[in-house]
Amino acid sequence: MKRFLLWFFPGLIVGALLILGGGKVLHMTSTKEYCVSCHIHPIADAAWKKSVHYDTRSGYRVACVDCHLPPKGKGYLWAKGKTGLRDLWNKWTKDSASFNWADKRHLEVARGYVYESSCIKCHENLFPAKLTKAGEDAHLYYTQTKKTDILNCINCHLNAGHFIEGYTHGSNSTFGNTSSAAKEIFTEPAKVNEFKSFTEQIPKSPVSFNMIAIPGGIFKIGSPDSEPFRKADEGPVRKVELSPFFMAEIEVSWNEYLAFYVQTAAEGRSTDTEGLRTKKASETDAISGATPPYGQPDQGWGLGKRPAISFSFHAAEIYCKWLSKVTGKNYRLPTEAEWEYACRGGSTGPYFFHGDPKKFEKTGLKAKLSKNDTTIINTYIIFKGNSLTKTQLPERVKPNPFGLRNMAGNVAEFCSDWYQPDAYSRYPEGIVKDPKGPQQGTEHVVRGGSFLSTASALRSAARDFTRTESWLKTDPQMPKSIWWYSDCFNVGFRVACEFDEKTGNAGLK
Amino acid sequence: MKNYGISRRNFLGKAATVGVAGVIVPSIISSCARETKKVIPIPAKLDQAPDGPVLKAGVIGCGGRGTGAAINFLSAGPNLKIVALGDTFQDRIDSCRIEIKKQKGQDVPVENCFVGFDAYQKVIDAGVDLVILATPPFFRPDHLAASIQAKKHVFAEKPVCVDPVGVRSVMATAQKAKGMELCVVTGTQRRHQRDYIAAWQQVQEGKIGDIIGGNVWWNGGKLWHRDPNAKWSEMEYMIRNWVNWTWLSGDHIVEQHVHNLDVMNWFTGTHPVKAVGFGSRLRRVTGNQYDNFSVDFTFENGTHFHSMCRQINGCVDNVSERIQGSKGSTNCRNSILDLAGNEVWKYDYPKDKDGKPTESVSVNPYVQEHIDLVTAIRTGKPINEAENTAISTMDAIMGRISAYTGKEVTYEEMMNSDLKLGPKVFTFGPVDVDKTVPIAGLAYVPEPATK
Repeated sequence: MKRFLLWFFPGLIVGALLILGGGKVLHMTSTKEYCVSCHIHPIADAAWKKSVHYDTRSGYRVACVDCHLPPKGKGYLWAKGKTGLRDLWNKWTKDSASFNWADKRHLEVARGYVYESSCIKCHENLFPAKLTKAGEDAHLYYTQTKKTDILNCINCHLNAGHFIEGYTHGSNSTFGNTSSAAKEIFTEPAKVNEFKSFTEQIPKSPVSFNMIAIPGGIFKIGSPDSEPFRKADEGPVRKVELSPFFMAEIEVSWNEYLAFYVQTAAEGRSTDTEGLRTKKASETDAISGATPPYGQPDQGWGLGKRPAISFSFHAAEIYCKWLSKVTGKNYRLPTEAEWEYACRGGSTGPYFFHGDPKKFEKTGLKAKLSKNDTTIINTYIIFKGNSLTKTQLPERVKPNPFGLRNMAGNVAEFCSDWYQPDAYSRYPEGIVKDPKGPQQGTEHVVRGGSFLSTASALRSAARDFTRTESWLKTDPQMPKSIWWYSDCFNVGFRVACEFDEKTGNAGLK
Repeated sequence: MKNYGISRRNFLGKAATVGVAGVIVPSIISSCARETKKVIPIPAKLDQAPDGPVLKAGVIGCGGRGTGAAINFLSAGPNLKIVALGDTFQDRIDSCRIEIKKQKGQDVPVENCFVGFDAYQKVIDAGVDLVILATPPFFRPDHLAASIQAKKHVFAEKPVCVDPVGVRSVMATAQKAKGMELCVVTGTQRRHQRDYIAAWQQVQEGKIGDIIGGNVWWNGGKLWHRDPNAKWSEMEYMIRNWVNWTWLSGDHIVEQHVHNLDVMNWFTGTHPVKAVGFGSRLRRVTGNQYDNFSVDFTFENGTHFHSMCRQINGCVDNVSERIQGSKGSTNCRNSILDLAGNEVWKYDYPKDKDGKPTESVSVNPYVQEHIDLVTAIRTGKPINEAENTAISTMDAIMGRISAYTGKEVTYEEMMNSDLKLGPKVFTFGPVDVDKTVPIAGLAYVPEPATK
């Protein structure tokens, strides 16, 4: 009955509209004024009025429907009917002030509302005479790449219809130029004489961060068949023994990453980028830092203690190498086994707290309707259900039993292992000591969910991996950057530090 | 969604449309249409371009080919004029001007003759409708871009560039030209040569079956060289001796052999995705180029083509193409053999006064390409060969780089390569480029002698 009513009233209205002289109504309901009369979203309106689509050089004002509906004859009526119904439903049942407008500006979300065919209907010529050199390369790439859902006009022109403060799609050479005045500048790194948590200080910078001592031990890596949402690559469950090590309390923050960036940044692109790409990080002698990013790596969410994002796996490896050099310790990415051990903090269930993934999986309205108590997951994890679709400051969550924050959420994290779906069954027999993962592979392990994940991907055993090609999809540079991903903004990393003679382990001398 | 189709797969279609206007769909990959007899109609070639308002052309690069192209242009039809000349050197302008006067009786106004590295822009701005680009290929991408920017039709000599950055620049400019319906013809005159076109038509209609391999050759003699001259700066010397310097010509595989590689692309309707080659420098006197290359090209469907080119005097010469199909083979020009070696088709050359068949097409293909260009402009049916020739040039660049490095080179890699040859500064002084001759592979290093 409920379902019937859901369709009955809107159906009635559509029917009436169709009868009451199609064309005129269609036109009337497609004007800017009409859209704005119902869509009470002052933020989107204001951003549209500041955009290049409102203030075009020719004086033509691009209307809502020009982008948010397909061209006539290409599913126009169907889309108009569908979105019209959805809009009516939303208007009657929801408060538009409660919408997360920032979220809707994200590329992934925006794709659902912007029709590529409509972009191309107006922008017929992708090579106008005044197209810049960079534009030529980018459009050539667009026309010569097989059409996929990944590469759309708005990948690069996200701010065309609605102005986004600070959005750039160009070489961002001033990125990270923050003033470090009036802060204490560390001259020495932390000295560590025993196996105890410590605060590292990055010399020549005001930046410090906490390293937690993780005692060695034996744990079970992977998840049992019975665990909800378990995937095949999480098994078979194996016993792993780990030596003691240090793990950073929080994901590498922009403060930390920018200390590296500012101290090492290369002035421009070297011509040897191909060579660097093929060499392993361990083979490069001098530490040459990242080139300026293309666009805005922090997505405009702010720097500070938010986790750093948008940089490549290669950049993360070089960061560790640099950090080791300036602190005189052995920093590196954690292995996959270390990561899971640290995340579990002695727990054996899906999460390091008590909870059933099935009860947390739903987000938004569905979560409200399901009436499941999500207090506990909200206490510990930044995920789709509470992130407002962006990274959050680490203090927002409570730490896990080891004292580590955001292992399960906020941003996903690189591990040093190559990813193989059957990595655990490749481990040698018996209890495996300090496994480093498969000998080879093409992509690296990524662990922990992110602010975009639902509960299933936040489980301690859930595995994921880098996707180098699609993460560089819209980088228009030739060759593509080895330092920054143009299309990945929910992965960061956390540093691990060896417990060795430099960090209090006299036994290694 | 509108198909912007110049994706690699779509080169199949695109590549063919441009050369011979209108008709498409050759494919070495699909064989589904074999059963029914395809008929590929070809628009008739005109012996003269139609009349129209005066079409004024400027020549940029007034050496031998620029002068030749100017004369070819003037021979294409009525009401054609050369009104401006540009070159880096005054003596080249003078000789070009005299030749035009001698052969075609036209006087190019002295005030429209420009000397220097910026002469090209002055020619473009001298009130011309069309420009003829015939400088060393290194300069082509910039000159082409400037011409299209100024909305001029273009005759651009092949090759259209010398490096991957140039290829991409020309591809983008080609798209801009298409947007403005400007005509660009690129000096790959085999595509305008009537016997080649007839053979192409036969192949498209399935006469040799599916293409399963081929060979392309430009084995010929040495071109020419200039010895250094005390009066010349290094820049002047290099430009005057340009067919011997890689940064200016792209090496001879690019500069000359591109013709045959272009035939390979034209007949297959696509382009190779991979090249492995070698080459060396045995007898070249100046510059840093090789004088022989041998390259194995692989296509996406696994077909191989072998390419060979040489510029050494006193060896056996051969400038031609040969394509093997599942039902027969062709020399791409005037003959098709079945698998047993019987000639099953030959081009019907025009007969001379005595009724004997001649050995050549009725209109010189170097003139024909200008007839086709002027016809396209005057009939408002634009043709644009820039992209095709950019891809053919890319084939040659792949071959060169593979030979220089000893490594496999892919099309994909080249499309992402930032290799740009040549100096950054253009003045008549020393030239900051690598002048060494590349040597592939590792040298044998003897073990240190033991006691």
